[in-house]
Amino acid sequence: MKNPFTSKKTVGAVAIAVFAAASLSACGGASAGGNSASGDVSYWLWDANQLPAYQQCADDFHKANPDITVKITQTGWDDYWGKLTNGMAAGTAPDVFTDHLSKFPDFVKTKQLVPLDDAVKAANINLNQYNAGLADLWVGQDGKRYGLPKDWDTISLFYNKKMAAAAGLSPAQMASLTWNPQDGGTYEKAIAHLTVDKNGKRGDEPGFDKNNVAVYGLGLPGSDGENAGQTQWSFLSATTGWTTTDKNPWGTHFNYDDKRLQDTIAWWASLAQKGYMPKLETTVGASAPDAFGAGKAAINSNGDWMIGQYKTYKGVDLGIAPTPVGPNGKSMSMFNGLADSIWAGTKKKDASIKWVEYLASTKCQDVVASKAVVFPAIKTSSDKAAAAFKAKGIDVTPFTQHVKDDTTFLLPITDNAAKVAGIMKPAMDAVVAGKAPASSLTAANGQVNALFAK
Amino acid sequence: MVFIAPALIGLVAFYIVPTFRGLYLSFTDYSILGDPEWVGMKNYQAIAKDPMFWNSLWVTVEYVVINIVLQTSIALGLALLMHNVAKSILVRGALLLPYLMANVIAALLWFWMLDYQIGIVNQVIEWLGLPRVAFFGSQIWAIPTQALINTWRNMGYTALLIFAGLQAIPGSLYEAASLDGSSPGQTFRKITLPLLRPVLALVLVMTVTGSFQVFDTVAVTTQGGPINATRVLQYLIFQRAFNEQDFGYGSAIAVILFLILMVVAVIQMKFLRGNESDLD
Amino acid sequence: MTEFASQRRRRFRWRLVLAWTAVGLAIAISILPFYWVLRTALSTNGSLAANSANLLPADFSLGAFKRVFGLQTTAEAIAAGGSGASINFWGYLLNSMLFATLTTAGAVFFSSMAAYAFSRLRWKGRDKVFALFLGTILVPPIFTALPNFLLVRNLGLLNTMAGLVLPYIFMTPFAIFFMRQFFLNMSREVEEAAMLDGARHWRIFFQVVLPNAAAPLATLALLTFMGQWNEYFWPLLVGSDDSSRVLTVGLSVFKSQSPQGAPDWSGLMAATLVSALPVLILFAAFGKRIVNSIGFNGTK
Repeated sequence: MKNPFTSKKTVGAVAIAVFAAASLSACGGASAGGNSASGDVSYWLWDANQLPAYQQCADDFHKANPDITVKITQTGWDDYWGKLTNGMAAGTAPDVFTDHLSKFPDFVKTKQLVPLDDAVKAANINLNQYNAGLADLWVGQDGKRYGLPKDWDTISLFYNKKMAAAAGLSPAQMASLTWNPQDGGTYEKAIAHLTVDKNGKRGDEPGFDKNNVAVYGLGLPGSDGENAGQTQWSFLSATTGWTTTDKNPWGTHFNYDDKRLQDTIAWWASLAQKGYMPKLETTVGASAPDAFGAGKAAINSNGDWMIGQYKTYKGVDLGIAPTPVGPNGKSMSMFNGLADSIWAGTKKKDASIKWVEYLASTKCQDVVASKAVVFPAIKTSSDKAAAAFKAKGIDVTPFTQHVKDDTTFLLPITDNAAKVAGIMKPAMDAVVAGKAPASSLTAANGQVNALFAK
Repeated sequence: MVFIAPALIGLVAFYIVPTFRGLYLSFTDYSILGDPEWVGMKNYQAIAKDPMFWNSLWVTVEYVVINIVLQTSIALGLALLMHNVAKSILVRGALLLPYLMANVIAALLWFWMLDYQIGIVNQVIEWLGLPRVAFFGSQIWAIPTQALINTWRNMGYTALLIFAGLQAIPGSLYEAASLDGSSPGQTFRKITLPLLRPVLALVLVMTVTGSFQVFDTVAVTTQGGPINATRVLQYLIFQRAFNEQDFGYGSAIAVILFLILMVVAVIQMKFLRGNESDLD
Repeated sequence: MTEFASQRRRRFRWRLVLAWTAVGLAIAISILPFYWVLRTALSTNGSLAANSANLLPADFSLGAFKRVFGLQTTAEAIAAGGSGASINFWGYLLNSMLFATLTTAGAVFFSSMAAYAFSRLRWKGRDKVFALFLGTILVPPIFTALPNFLLVRNLGLLNTMAGLVLPYIFMTPFAIFFMRQFFLNMSREVEEAAMLDGARHWRIFFQVVLPNAAAPLATLALLTFMGQWNEYFWPLLVGSDDSSRVLTVGLSVFKSQSPQGAPDWSGLMAATLVSALPVLILFAAFGKRIVNSIGFNGTK
């Protein structure tokens, strides 16, 4: 290591300590420490809504394995990843943590995760018990497995039933919307008709005042440029045959310069110009679900993990409809899943493996299912979750149908995810805000692809 | 020197060494999780070509200028009022209240109140019959809004600093001026302002150095957006170093920010020293 | 002449009205947001959006405060639109207290010692070293944050109170500057008398100088304490488990829980209020001292 400062006597001692820190920083990946199968296992997750379910799992696990205690820490999504990275650098990361598809490639690259292949073989875990494709997502480019799937999510349209009824749109009509990038199909027609200005004029009526809108047909939580449009436009662009990367997972070339994507985004951004969707500038800091809850938007496209949130709004009769059918004749949805991974620096490797296996088993996933907060990865548990939702009066078929019909596509899994997001978010924001044409995405795409050329 | 030993330890261990270490890291490729790898000037060359950096520099300067003009003029006005009219300590206390809030908390508070849809401020604006303002969402408003929040938090404090300066001006000078038949405006220009200059200069040094390091309010509200409108230098450093795990690149921008602050400080110190004699 | 005088008086009154209006406006802008915090904290989350124009709490409830104090069950909290995470409020409060008190005590004491050396003792290179100390004010905190983070980690002090406190406890440049200003202006007589008695610097410092400096020391301690209480970035990096998490960081659990999740506004505002309470109490008790002290260092 180059070290230009240790020669200075005055700062010598401290400087050596500081520089030693740098050379030690990579040790996390090398040694697994002691492999004790007992003691405390720390576990992190970000979604507070799921905490009760996993606390239950942890308690049950402790009963079955009295010598292991799982300590759960919940940290909000905003701080979760920074804290995790710092913890890895510091040697204080949790033994086991909830992992996200967009983040795990970077962890694999920096050797922060424990490969689970041996454990899976030893415990004879049947990877076919999970919904199709979920288990494969967590295999790195080196062919090793770094996570066991815990849940999955798809996208649907949340809509306000009373508003739809007032606009003369039946649930059956809402469930069979169509879309194309030219005129937006019946999806745009529905959105326009559900939009109402301050004078009570609908968006498709003459004299509609687009600058004084009381209810927007479609709510907008942001341009979603950092998440490849997961909840906003990915289910539309996918029906044109467009894919984010050349291959998935582990693509190395992005396709934001493709006309099909740019047409989709141009159409989508035009909704804001027409007054059917809030302008991007008016939504900063606002929560789209909250605006929906306040009766200021009629439709929100969002993921199944938000069902609980949407149900809390008083006075809103919540309807859920599948995403619109596009040019390819299908209703599509991005498919994303979470998994539990073990940090390479753990000192409780064996106990951690036991806990991860438990999390990935029907024992825990059935508990999660019973709480009706999210769909567990195991097929039979998914069905139980759907039943639990139904018992709460929520029909989740629009979400589960995608998996049954195989109309899903994966969240892009690539290296450099954080840098890609850093480029694409402002670029996409600019287009949706009407400050730049959709063709400007070509330049951003060039910057993104340059990251992989290095 | 036992007296300065503890302070010296703190200075060396937590200021000087980290400064050199940060400087060293700016010449490396370092992802926190790996080893720093010496890459020479690569980071600096990349920065020179990075449109995001130049945008950040511009945005930061915009923030600094708005902040200083607003904060200094409002604080000066308040200080004059406290000195001449509202002499009660209660007034001073009330105006200092926002300063007690953490930056983060002040930002969240205003983020809530200035919300476009359900914020109370936009509600009031609507009652006045004016169109709602996208304080955090509009590219034009985002930076002024950040500056306004900072001004809200600091105006009382800054006003008190200036107020203290006003108190130090001998009353006899004003008596003499009023005997000479000088108008309030003339008195302000001829006596108050010149005698206040050292204090104002100090306030400026503080505000400028503080403003260049704006981070907390941006981090908890707009996070650099809309588009790149509030991607101030320090936020860009944070983003590159921590979110994108490119610590060498982040350190290099930090070095540049450091240099800018040095230059600004030297210029201001000269200005400050040149006027030190005014009070004597 | 009398006519002229009355005219002037009328003009003066008009001016006075204008001045007081300005003062009133400034006070209103300073204080009203605190009412809004209280109003939001006493509201129910789900009703906030629909009642944005209501100046009274929307759907009055103490639920937000219960969430802050950890008195609500997870299920209740989630149903109210809050975070289900139990926030260990009393633990965080204790940590904040410890952090602010320790750093204040250390920084004030050690900085006064250094300030004394910089103002009353003569030694070679004194002014240069002082300039070095002053120069650190210009180092952007983010610049030193990661190297400091690595240092603390290497000492094995991550997620401990010791690690949290370390960078602040030895000195702050401001404290040295502040105390030096005071010592420079202090009368030399008492000190010289003690010197004639043959007292050494140590005794002079503890028995003569420090007692005489009680007032500025108290002021400095108050200012430092308030600053430390509000510190966010460093504790965020270094104190992430329950034994070292301070209040400002702990409150972040009220922010969004999942991508696109809405903030728990009422919980956040209740937490804001509660976390600001100690500083507000200090301010109520010592407000006069604080208000009067500001500017002390600014006049020269």
